[in-house]
Amino acid sequence: MNNPRTKIINAPLNRVEGDLEIRVRLEDDRVSEAWSVGVMFRGIENMLKNRGPLDGLVITPRICGICSTAHLTAAAKALDAISGAKVPANAIIVRNLALMAEHVQSDMRHGFLMYTADFVNSAYSKRPLYDEAVKRYEPFKGKTVIDVIKHTKEILETVAIFGGQWPHSSYMVPGGIASNPNMNDIMQCKYLIDKFASWYEKRILGCSLQRWLNVQNGADLDAWLDESESHHNSELGFYIRYARDIGLDKIGQGHANFISFGQLDMPENSKVTGRSQNSHFLIPAGFARNTEIEPFDQKKISEHVAFSWYADDKGGKHPFSGETHPYATGEESEKYSWTKAPRYDGTPAETGPLAEMIISGHPLFTDLVNTMGPSAFVRELARLTRPAELIPAMKQWIMELDPQNKFYAHSPNITDGEGFGLTQASRGALGHWVSISDKKIAHYQIITPTAWNGSPRDADSIRGPWEEALIHTPVKDSENPVEIGHVVRSFDPCLVCAVHAIQGKKENIWKI
Amino acid sequence: MVYDLLVSNRLPGDIEVIDGGLAGLNLLRFIHGADRVVFIDAVNGFRPSGGVIVLNAEDASRHADTIFGHSAGLAYCLRVLPEVHDSKLPEIFVVGIEGATDPDKILKAAEMSLKIANQGYSLRD
Repeated sequence: MNNPRTKIINAPLNRVEGDLEIRVRLEDDRVSEAWSVGVMFRGIENMLKNRGPLDGLVITPRICGICSTAHLTAAAKALDAISGAKVPANAIIVRNLALMAEHVQSDMRHGFLMYTADFVNSAYSKRPLYDEAVKRYEPFKGKTVIDVIKHTKEILETVAIFGGQWPHSSYMVPGGIASNPNMNDIMQCKYLIDKFASWYEKRILGCSLQRWLNVQNGADLDAWLDESESHHNSELGFYIRYARDIGLDKIGQGHANFISFGQLDMPENSKVTGRSQNSHFLIPAGFARNTEIEPFDQKKISEHVAFSWYADDKGGKHPFSGETHPYATGEESEKYSWTKAPRYDGTPAETGPLAEMIISGHPLFTDLVNTMGPSAFVRELARLTRPAELIPAMKQWIMELDPQNKFYAHSPNITDGEGFGLTQASRGALGHWVSISDKKIAHYQIITPTAWNGSPRDADSIRGPWEEALIHTPVKDSENPVEIGHVVRSFDPCLVCAVHAIQGKKENIWKI
Repeated sequence: MVYDLLVSNRLPGDIEVIDGGLAGLNLLRFIHGADRVVFIDAVNGFRPSGGVIVLNAEDASRHADTIFGHSAGLAYCLRVLPEVHDSKLPEIFVVGIEGATDPDKILKAAEMSLKIANQGYSLRD
């Protein structure tokens, strides 16, 4: 701090779920160090101990109001594994469709209500596309904001039809689902999926799904953008032009390691095919260093607590043996976050739509990462176009539901044992690891996507993914550090954040 | 507690009680098609002395965060409602409980909400 051009900024981020504070050191107007601070203790795992085995189905969907279907999916899959239940194809499809509805609404709301809200920041008021951005993204009034709210509320009806309510539904059970959708329910859901798909093509892409899926590399992307006015002026087209204009393709690189737990089990005899022929998921599991994909093995997962407020050794334990013992030290130690630090094979890894695209072998995103590396721009591009990967399967799967067949297969009693349920929440890899003993939950560990992305340092002092992604980020105005918001929000953090800029004894607070 | 209290009563057939929890923006779909909607929620800053207060949608949403977040609540939902509602807007009231709550306040809010749902309410009352 002797350098007069060095500043520390504490940046509590708004527009994220929960509580998150980003602390950065600026040297010569660039981020030279970053710390991701989860400021709230969760402790859901400890609340689950000694409860009945099925209680996770009711409690864990309440961990989060925006990814409750993902938590329910993970909880149900863990109990499927422990009980040995075989889930019928109908139930697999309903579980998939609910999760996909949650994803497509989340992708649109994050993209156009949260991420592009920064595009109307006063820092960009002199940029050539600023006035158009205000028309699209002005809070409460922007035409894109209003349109996204209208259409995302409708697609979630499908979850309510299948599960009785959204969020916080608990209709997935070991062996299937607790509801019994009839043909009328299925046709209602088909109408809602078709309507969303039509809106997404027309308004978000400005072209058919098929035309978009033909975009295979960066050159194709540029050609697509210039091909027609409907592409150029679509929400996706405008996002690409604006994001490049403000330099989002040059910030937020990070470690370039990616992880996906895999999601959307393929039911038997389905006509749906994924990009990866060798996976039993539509979106495959895997780990990648840059774009080199490795097979996934959950045994390689560990959680470190060296810099987290937990009493343990330095951590590095697999979730079946990991513990959650809060141990607050305040400022007296090197610990600085309530978030643990998950690692895969000892390595930090980012998760989310971009990781899914890389591990699926998606040609466009493989090319973009190979040629330019990860960035805030490409990370959000993956999120905005993930619905194009999901909608064709949604349209096919809803037609494969047969109300004459079973939605539930009687599952054996849940005996003592252990199992895990892995899936992808909208923000990335989510896992529940469960042990049952004496017919009660003896152990429950949850690793969320934001634990992966927003982790603090590990036992080797290696930064978490978005801590690393912030390094070298230029900040033009330390009193309006909008660039920090772009980088962190490109991961869609699920933790809430104003910016405290500490300059000597003076503390100012801004929201970014 | 308010929800439990309301559903434990025999209600007129044209009144539906919904546990909105923290659904925020996702409450929009329940508003569609209704003639009158009464929300019951905790409020802060409307009645410094504490107690139960009735607000219209405009007053209840005046201080909503301008930027949407995953944690956006009822205030955001009510603020954006006129822009995203395609048909005639229902009458909307918020029965707010300000300050520390107790069973008497909850009972009063529940009774007031039922009365408003049945008869409407003039904010000059």
